Amino acid sequence: MKSNSINKCFISVFLLFASAHLWAQKVNQSYRVETITMPAGLTSENGAVEFLPDGRLVASFTRGEVMIYNPLTKEWKLFAEGLHDPLGILVISNSELLVMQRPELTRIKDTDGDGQADLYEKVTDDFGLSGNYHEFNYGPVKDKDGNLFIALNSSSGGGDIRAEVRGEINPLGRDKSGKGQMFSNTPYRGWVMKLSPSGHLEPIASGFRSPNGIGFDLEGNLFANDNQGDWIGTSALHHVVKGRFYGHPGTLVWEKGWNKGNPFFLPIPVLDSMRTRGAVLFPHGIIANSPTQPIVDATGGKFGPFSGQLLVGEMNRERIVRVMLERVGGELQGACIPFLDGNGLRKGNNRLVFGPDGSLWVGQNSHGWLGDQGIQRIIYTGKQPADILSMNLTEKGFDLVFTQPLNKTTALELKNYVFRHYFYKYHSKYGSDQFDVQNIAVTDMQISEDLRKVSLTLSSLKPGYVYELNLGDIKTASGEELTNKVICYTLNKLKTSSL
Amino acid sequence: MRFVKISFSFLLALLSILQVYAQSNADTVRTIKIDVLVGLQFDLVRFNAKPGEMLKLIFSNSDDMSHNLLITKPGARLEVVNQALSLSEKGPSMDYIPNSSSVLYSIPVVNPNQFRTLSFTVPKQEGVYPYVCTLPGHGFIMFGAMYVNSDGKMPDIKDDLNIPPNRRETDHAVSSNQSMKHNEHPKEIKALHPYSPISPYLYRVFIDGASPAAIAVSLTKDLSYCWDAGTCRLRFAWRGGFLDNSELWKGKGDVSAKVIGEVFFRDHTDFPFYLKDRGKIPEYDYKGYSLINRYPEFHYTLNGIDFFELILPKEDGSGLIRKFRIPNVKNTVWFNTIPLDGAIYESSSGKWQENTLKLSASQAKEFIITMSKKERDLK
Repeated sequence: MKSNSINKCFISVFLLFASAHLWAQKVNQSYRVETITMPAGLTSENGAVEFLPDGRLVASFTRGEVMIYNPLTKEWKLFAEGLHDPLGILVISNSELLVMQRPELTRIKDTDGDGQADLYEKVTDDFGLSGNYHEFNYGPVKDKDGNLFIALNSSSGGGDIRAEVRGEINPLGRDKSGKGQMFSNTPYRGWVMKLSPSGHLEPIASGFRSPNGIGFDLEGNLFANDNQGDWIGTSALHHVVKGRFYGHPGTLVWEKGWNKGNPFFLPIPVLDSMRTRGAVLFPHGIIANSPTQPIVDATGGKFGPFSGQLLVGEMNRERIVRVMLERVGGELQGACIPFLDGNGLRKGNNRLVFGPDGSLWVGQNSHGWLGDQGIQRIIYTGKQPADILSMNLTEKGFDLVFTQPLNKTTALELKNYVFRHYFYKYHSKYGSDQFDVQNIAVTDMQISEDLRKVSLTLSSLKPGYVYELNLGDIKTASGEELTNKVICYTLNKLKTSSL
Repeated sequence: MRFVKISFSFLLALLSILQVYAQSNADTVRTIKIDVLVGLQFDLVRFNAKPGEMLKLIFSNSDDMSHNLLITKPGARLEVVNQALSLSEKGPSMDYIPNSSSVLYSIPVVNPNQFRTLSFTVPKQEGVYPYVCTLPGHGFIMFGAMYVNSDGKMPDIKDDLNIPPNRRETDHAVSSNQSMKHNEHPKEIKALHPYSPISPYLYRVFIDGASPAAIAVSLTKDLSYCWDAGTCRLRFAWRGGFLDNSELWKGKGDVSAKVIGEVFFRDHTDFPFYLKDRGKIPEYDYKGYSLINRYPEFHYTLNGIDFFELILPKEDGSGLIRKFRIPNVKNTVWFNTIPLDGAIYESSSGKWQENTLKLSASQAKEFIITMSKKERDLK
């Protein structure tokens, strides 16, 4: 008993230390974090958070529970149980959900009105399942035409396939000589799939390693985040377009008419020429190590000034990341920046949903990796953030727009804009170092009359590089410090005057 | 302070000389192996070393993310972890190793399935030297302690504040287990769910002896069965307990649920049903289940014909009652069994032809098959 109380005492001291020092957090006055009390006995490793039309929150958990939370009474109720690692929910009505679990997409319905589900109907299971521990499934999300999209994780080389699998086995989807690489031995592991309203499940895009989280922006573009590892130099946000391949080779064996043998043994330049690069790269150790679900801020200003941009959860840190995109040369690319660090936020930020009041609910998970448990809520206090609103590529450099007018003196100092560029290699190795790291000089700058826009000219711009900008001590006109000082732009395509 | 600094750099210089010396005598060096467990843990969270001893540290990484390993001055773990964090965007290119006098030795980032070694001389000063992974976020939970002393002592592991809290027990990390054996010491029982599961209830789960799309159902009377949505059939049934999911739920889940109890039936037929053409395996398609008084009634199609199957426990606990409905059946249905599968069969209708039950279309609309555990297996 004695050792127990010592342990507890130590843990609380330890947590105090951890939170006090972590990433030298500043108090964020624009957003505050609230922690939701979870029901006793629940191992609250969260797989999904969504809202019902009646304003209640529905959440799923690793041990198979689906629970409903009433934000007014703060009461939890069990809706369904026994599911296999449910990692996604699409709400149909107050009594009907689509839930993505390991073996299938399932319609779960309370048909007798007692508040608990009694019907568990298969919607689709038309994909392979080898029983490898890493075969997580994500989604579904729905487009305006009623098509559903799900993402299937590749299988992990850290494990194997089971003696009995569902679906055909293609041994070519794995490089057994290369230890630890993810693989795709059963159909469509590592693919994004489209389920038409008629029920046909169609593979649409390949090359995903661990696409934990898919989502749309306001224009209906579909995105999936992939996690750093073998063939993924650093984590990335991908714009999912039908027919494209996003880099992880094993998945290619499920392409229609694939006749090039084991894709792991194709020359890297060949694979590289086939792949679509990430629209936004999340530099590892800088922005995110394990990005999760992208969600568009569709609150129309209720959540602050970042309407239309994407927010992305991060597992490894007490962080939510913000992504801003633009179309350059016909393709989406853009920048990522921390959105919120700490301020009570935990790690393991796995699922995001906006509540009816415009607050952001965050479900947390670790699942054996780095993370936390539970659900938190991020609320906009109404105080305008002091932050970069957008970063756009120009022909000569970048335009930065800020959420507030800047202090002119600090904003005009060239030394307050430190750029460096680097690229990540595409290879079978786990992750990539940064290559050709170079500081890029800012040679000229201009500030707009309203002091909100800074136009920077760089000494050079090179496609295929991440441009990381570190801001110095720039103040807003009212003397505030900027909340975030590092922003990373993924330059896939240059802006040319003709476009 | 100044004196301390000077003496420390002197010590460092001395150490590096010793290190060179140590490398030339590598075969006399004691080896310490450290690997990585799931959930950001070193497998070895503490070890003893003699002051001035030469050690070879092999750090292998069987995890699926990258890690490094830094040995710090006594008491300097959190300081170094925070220094590593403040490297910010420079972290990756520096292997998350800060330029700090508190870092004594370091092994740069080791990627999954790689290893690196470090040969070094243990400090002469006795003390507890932390080792830690300083990748962002890892350092607060992923650490251990090198006890440098000549008497080889370490505190009781339960009271060891130099190792992560969850490693201060020799017991397994998860004590929750519905089927805890009676002779085990009572541990702190953690609830499995926010409710007490009351049979009947089920888990969709990875379990040996079925496809990965299995459904395990706990009935009353200590009976359980596994119905396989991947193959649309009852695979096996057991008596005693239900499942132990503790390993499955502990980390990444690279294990199967454990069956608690004794399996008394396993289906060995090529398929339990033939329709119309005897000997031909029908095309199956799983449709789902609905809960009737919490018992799942499975719905599937065979050659496009709807089948419903509800499995209940026999009142005396000796087997299963399987209630079938095939409302739209138009032809003969054969139900197949194999002797030695562990069960004795009875049916509410139809005609047994050796081990096969033949049901006419009208009989097959609703029928019951009772499967009892064979007498000779009963104790």
